[in-house]
Amino acid sequence: MNGSNHSPAIAGSVHNGSGPVVWAAIIAATCLLLLVFQKMLWLVVPFLLALILYYFLYPAVRALIYRGMSRDAAASVVTLAFLVLVIIAGVALMPWVARQIVDWQNTVERYAEGGMRLLDASLRALEAHWPTLARARLADTAAARLAQGAGSVGDHLEPIAIGILAWTPSLLLAPFLAFFFLRDGRRFKRFLSAAVPNAFFEKTLFLLHEIDRTSRAYFQGLINLTVLDTLTLGAGLWLLGIPGPLALGLTCAVLAWVPYVGSILGGLLVVLVAATDFPDAPGMAYWAVALFVGVRLLDDFVYMPLTIGKSLELHPLVTVLMIFVGGAVAGVPGLMLVLPVLGVVMVIGETIGLIVTDPRLMARHRHARALRREQASSDL
Amino acid sequence: MVSLFRPRKTSPRLERLHSLSLFVNLTPAELQIVDGLLHEREYLGGEVIFDEGEEGQAIYIVAAGEVLISRHENGDAGGAAHAEHVAGAVHPRRRQGDSGQLAQLGPGTFFGELALLDNSPRSAQARAVMPCQLIVFFRDDFVGLLDTHARIASKISRQLACHLGTRMRNMALAVGAHQHMV
Repeated sequence: MNGSNHSPAIAGSVHNGSGPVVWAAIIAATCLLLLVFQKMLWLVVPFLLALILYYFLYPAVRALIYRGMSRDAAASVVTLAFLVLVIIAGVALMPWVARQIVDWQNTVERYAEGGMRLLDASLRALEAHWPTLARARLADTAAARLAQGAGSVGDHLEPIAIGILAWTPSLLLAPFLAFFFLRDGRRFKRFLSAAVPNAFFEKTLFLLHEIDRTSRAYFQGLINLTVLDTLTLGAGLWLLGIPGPLALGLTCAVLAWVPYVGSILGGLLVVLVAATDFPDAPGMAYWAVALFVGVRLLDDFVYMPLTIGKSLELHPLVTVLMIFVGGAVAGVPGLMLVLPVLGVVMVIGETIGLIVTDPRLMARHRHARALRREQASSDL
Repeated sequence: MVSLFRPRKTSPRLERLHSLSLFVNLTPAELQIVDGLLHEREYLGGEVIFDEGEEGQAIYIVAAGEVLISRHENGDAGGAAHAEHVAGAVHPRRRQGDSGQLAQLGPGTFFGELALLDNSPRSAQARAVMPCQLIVFFRDDFVGLLDTHARIASKISRQLACHLGTRMRNMALAVGAHQHMV
């Protein structure tokens, strides 16, 4: 079929990919949203946690609906069951947590000192091999700077404790929001699509589906990635003989939700534990570092493409650049939020670009509006 | 808790869905799941529902009113459009003497069903003849059903396959009769 035989509809439906204008708008909208989100983290963080919880609990709700339960009842039962499980786990862990809190400060101090000792030993070993470093008194300088800047552990713990207390009411919103996502998510989707003119309806349905697919893939990918990271790190730490391997692995995997910064913090944590619990075997800390680097490489080149990267279908260069942009625009929250926000904005931007630049769809919309005007004024 | 899983009474809406050939084999619980995936749209007489050549995203079921299926005059005005639309009606009323107009579909019939199977371009245009109410089943929701509720999706697929089979037989008969006349 050649071009001259195309009907107006066919001619109108020929599209090119998103142009530079659309992409500039997508990046600008992403940056703007990150700036706004940074100002209202009290709502964004529970909203994100609620989304994670929603995608985590959704399969259970779906299974109950399939067995004949109404959506409302299934959402209530699953959310309630989850809360009961959390409460039971909380009650069971409470005595242990209480014991830990008592000597929390001592533990943190012990691990911080372990880390300082490891750093000191490493720097002195470097000085022994490199006379230039020895002349610069690198180890003494670093120790003095750290002692000067670190202050007491209590100084750091107090703001953290206050921060946790301040965030608790906001975080309690997460299961509440997740319940409504589970119960009314589909109604919301139908409500949104009902508000769209007929001419754009199919494209909008596709858009909503793509947003749902993108965010579902991202958050389920994140959950899968966390499980894989936890298991791999846990197994490696267990092989090294480091205590609490699974808990440490889980902590590092959750910290890795924040690109770069989280990974560094996780690595630091593992090294501190290894250096403190095995003070006479500095090799253990180096093995822990090697394990962590190995897992990060595995994460970046195997797990991430299999889970999150594949789901968002972003070009690797765009991904890396946007992570830097997110960090520059909105700091640590920006690092964490930039990829899901970009994924959603990208789908919306590309679809709106397709609709607005499709002359046939716009003509159909104008025609429908004219018909409605005519109908409204028919008996006047 | 047990009462939560008891079979529910069917509502008039579910009964209406059950009366559609596409969903005739579904149980009330299954219909309720499908119902959660369906959209309702209202069109005025003369309004275009979808265009020929547009990428198909959904199947449309006529709940009320009438829809005209027509095809652009250029090119092959027969086969492909008939394949998707003419026999797609349960009782299509073909307009004689107007080669562009392929069928006029009434309540209970559906059209654009090939969009459930692939994303090929629509082979004809659908336009509301009078104010009508349509039920829309989006392709990706159907694909999602294949993953999550394979049993429901297989029942719908079977009905779709039966429908396409009937259509192919009708087309073969029509072509045979035409050749016989020639």
